[in-house]
Amino acid sequence: MARSPRTGRSPSARFGIRALVVGLILVVAVGAAIAVGVDVALTGQSFVSSFFPPVAVTDQGERIRDLYGIVFFIAVAIFFLVEGLIIWTVVRYKRRPGDDELPVQTHGNMIAETVWTVVPTIIVAFLFIISWQTLNVVDTVSATPETRIRAVAGQFQWSFDYLANDGKTVLYQQFLPTGEDGGMTVPTGRTIKLDLTSLDVIHAFYVPQFLFKRDVVPGRTNSFEFNVKDSDAGQTFRGQCAELCGAGHRIMLFEVHALTPADYDAWLQARIAEKAAAPTPAPSGAPAPSGEPAASGQPAASGQPATGAGPTLIVSAINVAFEQTALTGPANTPFKIEFDNKDASVPHNVAIHEGSPTGPELFKGEVFPGVAKKTYDVPALPAGAYAFVCTVHPNMTGTLTVN
Amino acid sequence: MATTALHPAAPAYRSSLYDWVTTTDHKKIGILYVINSFVFFFIGGLLAMGVRLELAQPGLQFVADQTYNEIFTMHATFMIFLFVIPMLAGFGNYIVPLQIGAPDMAFPRINALSFWMLPLAGILLLLSFVTGGSAAAGWTSYSPLAQDRPLGAVGPGQDLWVVALVLIGTSSILGAVNFLVTMFKMRAPGMTLFRMPIMTWTVLVTSVLVLLATPVITSALIMLFIDRNYGGSFFDPANGGDAILYQNIFWFYSHPAVYVMVLPAMGMISEILPVFSRKPLFGYRAFVFATAAIGALGFSVWAHHMFTTGAVYLPFFSFVTFLIAIPTGVKMFNWIFTLWGGKLTLSTPLLFALGFLSMFLIGGINGAVSASVPVDFAIHDTYWVVAHLHYVLFGGSVFGIMGGLYYWFPKMTGRMMSESLGKVQFVLMFVGFNLTFFPMHQLGLAGMPRRIADYSSASGWNDLNLLATIGGFTIAASMLPLLWNVFVSLRSGEPAGDDPWEGNTLEWATSSPPPPYNFDHLPPIRSERPVFDQRHGDVPHTKTPPGPDRTQQIPAGR
Repeated sequence: MARSPRTGRSPSARFGIRALVVGLILVVAVGAAIAVGVDVALTGQSFVSSFFPPVAVTDQGERIRDLYGIVFFIAVAIFFLVEGLIIWTVVRYKRRPGDDELPVQTHGNMIAETVWTVVPTIIVAFLFIISWQTLNVVDTVSATPETRIRAVAGQFQWSFDYLANDGKTVLYQQFLPTGEDGGMTVPTGRTIKLDLTSLDVIHAFYVPQFLFKRDVVPGRTNSFEFNVKDSDAGQTFRGQCAELCGAGHRIMLFEVHALTPADYDAWLQARIAEKAAAPTPAPSGAPAPSGEPAASGQPAASGQPATGAGPTLIVSAINVAFEQTALTGPANTPFKIEFDNKDASVPHNVAIHEGSPTGPELFKGEVFPGVAKKTYDVPALPAGAYAFVCTVHPNMTGTLTVN
Repeated sequence: MATTALHPAAPAYRSSLYDWVTTTDHKKIGILYVINSFVFFFIGGLLAMGVRLELAQPGLQFVADQTYNEIFTMHATFMIFLFVIPMLAGFGNYIVPLQIGAPDMAFPRINALSFWMLPLAGILLLLSFVTGGSAAAGWTSYSPLAQDRPLGAVGPGQDLWVVALVLIGTSSILGAVNFLVTMFKMRAPGMTLFRMPIMTWTVLVTSVLVLLATPVITSALIMLFIDRNYGGSFFDPANGGDAILYQNIFWFYSHPAVYVMVLPAMGMISEILPVFSRKPLFGYRAFVFATAAIGALGFSVWAHHMFTTGAVYLPFFSFVTFLIAIPTGVKMFNWIFTLWGGKLTLSTPLLFALGFLSMFLIGGINGAVSASVPVDFAIHDTYWVVAHLHYVLFGGSVFGIMGGLYYWFPKMTGRMMSESLGKVQFVLMFVGFNLTFFPMHQLGLAGMPRRIADYSSASGWNDLNLLATIGGFTIAASMLPLLWNVFVSLRSGEPAGDDPWEGNTLEWATSSPPPPYNFDHLPPIRSERPVFDQRHGDVPHTKTPPGPDRTQQIPAGR
């Protein structure tokens, strides 16, 4: 017991303080770096706003953002209070060199311990109550929603079914999850009930600007309601799958387009009329006879007249991949692509891009869900290298050589 | 003044490989646990570097999507099941028998068995990389993604994962039984339950959690295995199973597992803070009750991982999740008021313990934020959650483990570690940790989901991701001074002596390293600080006004 304990070595203690100070300075520097980084990243947004979710575009999201503001404020206050207490205690009570006296041996204090049990209890009770109140507003299902849409998730795409008020009849199906003529189109102001169904594994419907997500679970239909604010008509919001669903998880993107109710009604009617004019894809097992211009009865989705009777290329897709990776077609002659979609319920198509899969699109076949076959009439292409892709699944690609 | 004579000194160590492989000595097994856990810590860390490298810039630069999924799945699997849990079990193995004055664990051979299952499980997991790809469905392996189906988990990787986890679970259950029997039946005379050191208490509560929860996940894993290999349909809706059922069973274990991963680390810093502030732990009994309360409540909060499934009664799970903040807050204040009025020596173990306090504070607060269900709707499955879990498991558990390593290394090896290198490691790790994980809060709020290999450069996430990657490599750099420190200290560290820190608990009453069967003589045990009492038997224990008297006046035995 007579040996000098290592804890008493003062150089060590001073180095400890230095290490702590250096650490704190670096943390402040890091905070500043983050501040600068965020200012660069989110142009026009301040450092403070990077600690808040995006501005909500739905009434429900706005309530959640308000709640977040309160919760975040309390959290930050507690953080600074307790962190400050830790730092102050360490600086105030660090041992001075040569001070070998024992401090007062305090074992506890009933009043202090009661206070720091009761006060946090009051705080969390308050947080629970305001959270519950908000939950009851943002997660309700009304008896009579004004618009009903169903989002169908599958590896690795979204499609959107526009439903009649009975929630069953499908008025129009949108197979393309993104782009000008794809995505989920919604009316502002109206109460929209969104049903969520999955074709395979668990996905999650997540739109950051809704401040909301809900899992899309196979074997169960989840629903939620939202109202897009009137002021956001004409806007497009980014959405993404938020539950790991396999190798293509990151490409499960979608867009939400908000239209005024009048524009939405006109848009939906136009789509229904357009769809009524077009035939449904041929069922599986009834392929168009090869080499026969049988497909001439089906106007190509691209609107190209089915003129020439060029050769027919066979393309098939299964498990979200093309079974052919290289095709060869004739130059300067229209030809056909017989596309066999073997993925049950999963929409695919064949589109031809110049050069690479990200090059300009020259032809886009109609998107349709499997299991089904469809024959596309492709216009004449000059000799060269092309890529064919599935518009819904940009990771499905192959090369097309025209010569 | 009763001293207790234990086993006579056993013959000296046979420090051969044979001896290490066949040992049933809890101290050697504890060291094997620690070494094995560090090996998988470095493997898991390399995988994490893979994740950060890929995410540093938009675009897929290094790995394909499927490989990326394998990397983060195995990162979490190694870190949780082969690093944090066994590392804490290893420290428990080494420390608990010493702290209660026992010669060994109750079942030394079972102890060896539960250790040797771990490297076996690790080898199975590593083998999956060369047998067609590892598990890639996330460490949660939600069904149906983890089913044997196209675009799901095809190949043996997922099966190897299931088998490895069942092995690790069995190891944990055996270890928990061993700990509980040891603590209930082998305490030295005078070592009442309420004189057990807090480290031992946290291992006790942890063992109860493991014993009750691990069989539950084992059942889920076996059902998943049957689904995959023998045409079962427990969890696959396509065959009439239930995908949500898997999540309920999985989290019924995996939430308590969070406390398995953090309670013993809390125990470690509850040993370090009193020693380096030269005061007793403030509110010992309150601390024990808070630990038990966290353990008990831990069984009722599992579904807060499932708030967005639409299949949960949200207010209940929100309420109990908020409740857990209360005992956690009690502990935080007990720790701070242990420092308050003390005389702090800022040695490396205390620095890491302070790192634990200040970082776990963030992990606790943002845990309470996500207990608010509507807020969770916004942040669930985003990088915000990645930030939260790392502030708990890295800011909490890893900082605690590092503190414990610097604290007990002299006891385990008889040699001191270098203070300077330790402080360099602390600064690097503290800064790197915050650089990596703090920006993830902002990424999550900005809408970046977890588990994506790539993101659009138009998303506005570029800079924060780059920052996180720089931080990740800073953490990796902080491992170099640690490894060098261990290497140098083992060869030529200053001899530690029995009690280099002026410790409080019984492990400091024996030699460093302790002999086989630990003690020739034990000091009298009259409080939770027997070695302190022996050193300063006549020190007055003063209450702070104006509270009622809660001092423990070295009673003459209870």
